[in-house]
Amino acid sequence: MTPEVQRLERLAERLRAVDPFVAPPGAKIRGWNLVLAAVEQSTAARSRAHPVRRLIVGLVAAGVLLVAGALAASADSLPDSPIYPLKGVLENVRGALAFGASDKLAYHLDLARTRLTEAEAMISRHRVDLAGTSLKALDDQLKSAALLVQTERLANPAAAVHLQDRLRQAVATDDQQLADLQVQVQTPAAAGAISQARQHATDALKLAEQPAASPTASPGGPGGHASPSHANGHASPTGSP
Amino acid sequence: MRALGKAASDDDRPLVERVRKGDQDAVRSLYERYFDRIYNYAYARLGRAEDAEDLAIDTMTKSLTRLDLFRDEGVAFSSWVYRIAHNATIDHYRRHGKMALVSLEHAPPLASADPSELAVEQLSNDDLHAAIRDLTDEQQQVLILRFFQDLTANQVAGIMGKSVGAVQALQHRALGSLERALQGRAAS
Repeated sequence: MTPEVQRLERLAERLRAVDPFVAPPGAKIRGWNLVLAAVEQSTAARSRAHPVRRLIVGLVAAGVLLVAGALAASADSLPDSPIYPLKGVLENVRGALAFGASDKLAYHLDLARTRLTEAEAMISRHRVDLAGTSLKALDDQLKSAALLVQTERLANPAAAVHLQDRLRQAVATDDQQLADLQVQVQTPAAAGAISQARQHATDALKLAEQPAASPTASPGGPGGHASPSHANGHASPTGSP
Repeated sequence: MRALGKAASDDDRPLVERVRKGDQDAVRSLYERYFDRIYNYAYARLGRAEDAEDLAIDTMTKSLTRLDLFRDEGVAFSSWVYRIAHNATIDHYRRHGKMALVSLEHAPPLASADPSELAVEQLSNDDLHAAIRDLTDEQQQVLILRFFQDLTANQVAGIMGKSVGAVQALQHRALGSLERALQGRAAS
């Protein structure tokens, strides 16, 4: 250790030995009172800001509830309802979550039933235009189901037979319902639309029995022909125009 | 040397969290932990009890009411408190027009003064305090934090935003400058 370092070490030791300045008790108490007042004021200011935060959170929650409520209500909406387009959103989500040929077929057949029910409701309300659109969407769903069966036959003939049976039963049920509806309607336009829908349903069944055009043909799934991505706004949430 | 209470450390974190949640007992604990230390720091820097009291109260108020500005990311709460105290010191100097900016680091020793003749044991506390206040801001800070506040070089590095090596070098230069300042005072 050099003499300089030794000197500085001694100086450092001397500094360590210096008595600390201690605040008088009065100063510490005064300080505490002032600090406490400032902290309480700061806390009060923060809690005054809280109502604004609570209001924002409340508005966001109300918005979320409103959207969720509208979506839930739209599930039973009809083509003449302002929230009917939201029904298409829900149906698109359902379609995106349908995996496998069986699920996809169930999806299309279910939507076909829904469109038929909507067409009935529109006819009863004398909205033949919207009924026609719903019937067209019904045709599209049945056609998608038929293409699905066609494609499945290439990959799994045994499973395709089962799918074809389900499609046949669904078309038979729909056709019976359409026939009942046809005798009830009084306008030629409505009768014509129903007749056309029945013909298209029969065509879909025939299409399902035919061999697929090529191995790469569209399965007609949720992203295929007449799928939810072909949404047509107001009158048909997921079907083609 | 009389102890200044619990050494500043990183275990303030739970108390800081409680203060953020409005716990007044935690405010009291942190106040008790730091007030004397900050008062001591301020007195050493400013040399007047009234100024030290004002600065300590101001520092504690800012520390405990502006915790929203304190981000616990590698910086200890103690470092944050000392930084506030340091900034308050600079503000005080600016307001009162006193700032020791002349470095004694390279000042030649007085011709008549022999460093070996400096009897450090016989220096009074007042001499030491007065000589420290002749040093530069950084030199004062490092000597006060290291020897009066008894902080480690690592803690001082955190407060001053320097590396440990830089703090050790600064401390060495500060001691040299202090020795020269004391010699100058002795000679005059």
